[in-house]
This record gives sequence, C-alpha cells and structure tokens, in this order.
Amino acid sequence: MPVLPLTGGHRTGSPLRRTPRLALSETIGLLPFFTLVAVFLAWPTFTLFRMAFERTADSEVPAMREAITGTYLDSFVYTMKLSALSALLGAVIGAILTAAVVRIEHPRWIRNAVSSFSGVAANLGGIPLAFAFLAALGTQGLVTKLLDWGGIDLIGAGFTISNFAGITVVYLYFQIPLMFLVLLPSFEGLRPVWREAAVNLGATPLRYWRHVGFPLLSPALLGGFLLLFANAFSAYATAYALSSGGAKLIPVQIRFFLQGNTITGKGNLGYAMAAWMIIIMIVTMGAYLVLRRRAERWQR
Amino acid sequence: MRSRKKAPIWAWLVVSSAAVFFALPMIAMARFAFQRVPVALLGRDTILKRWTLDGLFDMFSDPDFRPALWLSIRIALLTVVATFLIMLPTALWVNTRAARYRSLVEVATLMPYVVPPIALVVGAGGAFRDIAPWFLRSDYSLVPFYVILAMPFTFRSLDAGLRAIDLRTLLDAARSLGASTPRALVRIVVPNMTSALSGSAFLTITVVLGEFTIASLFLKPTLPLYMSYSQGRNPQGALGLAVLMLLFTTLAFFAASRLREKGRRSTREAIGVLP
Repeated sequence: MPVLPLTGGHRTGSPLRRTPRLALSETIGLLPFFTLVAVFLAWPTFTLFRMAFERTADSEVPAMREAITGTYLDSFVYTMKLSALSALLGAVIGAILTAAVVRIEHPRWIRNAVSSFSGVAANLGGIPLAFAFLAALGTQGLVTKLLDWGGIDLIGAGFTISNFAGITVVYLYFQIPLMFLVLLPSFEGLRPVWREAAVNLGATPLRYWRHVGFPLLSPALLGGFLLLFANAFSAYATAYALSSGGAKLIPVQIRFFLQGNTITGKGNLGYAMAAWMIIIMIVTMGAYLVLRRRAERWQR
Repeated sequence: MRSRKKAPIWAWLVVSSAAVFFALPMIAMARFAFQRVPVALLGRDTILKRWTLDGLFDMFSDPDFRPALWLSIRIALLTVVATFLIMLPTALWVNTRAARYRSLVEVATLMPYVVPPIALVVGAGGAFRDIAPWFLRSDYSLVPFYVILAMPFTFRSLDAGLRAIDLRTLLDAARSLGASTPRALVRIVVPNMTSALSGSAFLTITVVLGEFTIASLFLKPTLPLYMSYSQGRNPQGALGLAVLMLLFTTLAFFAASRLREKGRRSTREAIGVLP
C-alpha cells in the first residue's frame, strides 16, 4: 500500500503532475472499479468461505472438512485426475504443435491462421463445444460412424462422451490451443544463433534440445501445464452439458449440492467444494504467474 | 529466422492432423444441424440429400426464442455500457493520476481466474439471498458479474489503447489550449482510442453471449440457456443455433484482435487473452 503522496512520481514536468492534488481526485476514478470488485467479487467470495466453515446437517465437523472425506474426496480426486490428464495431454500435444508451426516458415499464413484459431478455440467452451462433440463422438456421431467403418468400435471399447475419457478428449479442444498461445512466444524467443552456436560446438539436435532448448522452455511448459490444469478444474458448462448434469466433476457437484440444499441439508457442502476450488486456483494460478515471469525473461 | 529452409514432413503431419481434430467436431455439428439424414443412413448416395435450414427456422418461430435472444442482447449492451463506465475511468486513472495503484488494479482484474464463474455464482447466491433477494430476481443481476468476467480482457484492451497514444502529451496540449481535464478526456482522449473501445466492446459481447454458468444457476433464460434446454425439443435447431453463435463469436473475436493490432501492439499482446 502506498504511504506518501509525494512518492507518486514527479518524473515529467507535465502540468497534470504538478497540479496539487487531493487524495480524492487521485482515486475517485478508481472508486467505481473497487466498489464493483468489493460488492460483486470480494463479498461473494468472503460469504462463500464463511458458509464453507459452517456445519451441515448431522455432521460434527465444518463443511470444509467434510468436503474432503469419503465420496466427496473421491470427486476431488476424480476431478484432479481428469484435469491433470487433460492438462498433460494438452501440454504435450500443444508443445508438439507449437514446435511444428514454428518450423513451417512458409506459407506464412499458416502461423497466423493457427494463432488466430487458437485465440478463438482457447476461449471456446460451454454449450456449443459440447454440442459439437455430441454430434462428432456421441453414440450417433459422425466420427463414431467413420471410425466404425474403419473397423474401430468406440462404443464397444467403452468410450462415452460423458465418461472420463470422453470429457478429457472434449477438453483438449480448448486445452491444446491454450498451450499453443502460452508456448508460441517462448518458441519464437529461441534464437537461431543459440542453435547454430550449439551445432558449431558439435552438438547433435538432440543434445541441443536436452541442454539448451528444453531448459529454456521448461518454465513455459510447466507454467502452461498449471494453467491448463486450473482451466480444466474450473470448467463447468461443457461438462454439465455433456453429462446432463450427472458428472462426478466438482464444478457439476457444486450445483448438485446447492440445489439439493433444502432436501438434504447438505447445501454448505457446495460452498465448501467451491472454497476448495478457489484454494486450488490460487495455488496453481499463482505458480503459473511466477513461472510465466521466468519464461518471459528470454523473450526479449 | 532468416533461412528459407523447407519445413520437415513431421511438422506438416502434425499441423494437418491438428486441423482434422479441430475441424471434425465443427463439421459434424454443422451436418447434424443442416442435414436431415441420420448418421446410420449416411453413404455415398445420401451425402448430398436433404440439406435444409428448417431446424433453425423452427427455432426462430418458437415463442421462447425471441425473449431469450432479446434478453441476451439487452444484457450484452448493458454490460458494454457498464464496462465503459467502470473500466474506462479505471484505465485512465491508472495511466495518469493513480499510477501507483496500477499493480493493485492489475491483480484485481485477474481475480476472475482465481474465482471461476461456478464459485462466483455460488458465493453471490449466498451473499445476496438474505440481504437483497430482489437483486437476484432481476434479470439484470447478471450485468455486474459479466463486467467482472470480462474484466481481464477489457481492462487490458483499454490499458493497451491508452498506452499506445501519448496520453500525457495529449492532455497537456488540450489543457494548455484551455480545455478542462474532463473536456480534454471526452473530446481528445476518447476519440483517440476508438479501436481499443470497440475491441473491448466486442470481447465483452462474446463473453456475454457464451456465458452459461452464472445464467444457469441464477435461472435467467438467456440465449445459451435456451440453446441448452431446446436441445431435447428441437436438436437440429439447437445445434444450428450453436453453429450461428460460434460463427458470430469468431467474427467478433477477429474484429477485436484486428482492432487491437491497429493500436500497434505486438502480436503477442494482440492474442494476449492469457491471464
């Protein structure tokens, strides 16, 4: 928090800066913003945690504690496994895709097209994405049928669009492009001279990657993985639409407990699950931001 | 990279398989929406038959469709207005008088990544249910939350727009010619950042038109909710609507990033929707 108004900076001799100002004129433009954040973001978050620490019907411990026992814990583990798998696959495939796109120098529109598409697809989600995959990989899906002609029986192999494997595949649709967006600046920041220097010193491509390329990319790779994990963990609409509200995933479970509130008296479990979700977000997004700062060191 | 080397085969293989993976679900959705042939009967002789827009037209004539569309449009416009009223002063102040609050504001605008929509809506329900139930009943209760959801994009877009122009010189010039600060802002600064303003408006609209979680838990019959519920009644129409919404979102997104590039930012910032 700032203390002295004098330290605000007199770098330029502009009249704007020299005007003697009241504390009010300095902050009045920020007032609407901080009011919005306080009322519609901070207060709901505070309420969420307050209710998460209350007890549910016939329980001895706060909901926060109860939410990480028994079947509720299973839900967390299930969601974490799914998020980790979709983040891992998204990160690996995203890295391979980025490496490939960077190698294709012409036609030049390829890189621009992949970047633009990724910008759209990384933010895609919700109902339309679920619909697209139902039409492609549902029991009556086009791709299911194509694979069937090719002799691959997806349904017979136990694949359903709403089970673990199915949701993981659907999430890759936004995870891979997101990874591409994270990695592209880092891949572009790998200067050809570093590679040439390594080759001149007798390194094989493999050794170059092991000792130069990969260490330089590792903060971006790890950071991207964490971002993808957080992204999958908090996704709601797609999972809800794919499973018709029946998925074991935490975001879908939160809704279930809130709506069953009056019947079961377990409504506070919904708050507790959401509170745990925020804690998981803080940890992963915090680590991501630290790693991103690291990764950006090489990009200029 | 300066050499004009030919890309290796594997790179082309990777890019083309990615193209297939990303194109197939969209093709499947469009085919389902606009062709009245069950997948089981698809073959060489049926592939060109019975393409129709009837599913979509049935949906347009559904009595629930128009109210949903209209509600989404009203909420989108209100969210854009509220975003300008709140985020424009914030970006202006952070770039002039209140520069020392910049990092605090930046951290606050990233909070929607830490509190995802599903957690935000749960907390908001608990917070407002007892104190202001009338607020939750109103359809417009979605607006402040949508301003917050769009904040990471809109603040950065407006901030980049302000940084791209020489704000201090413009303000000083206007003021030394006799304009008051508010007048200088309205007459000089805002007209100089129209691309940042319209860019953030487009981004806000795409956020509002795609948002399902909060609307669904607040039981507000917006377009995404209508789309989800009408899947049972008119699956073709629902998927057709999804295709239209994806097309619209894509166009709006391109418009937004094109406008941002006009502000002379690097490509990294142009696609910089990352937290």
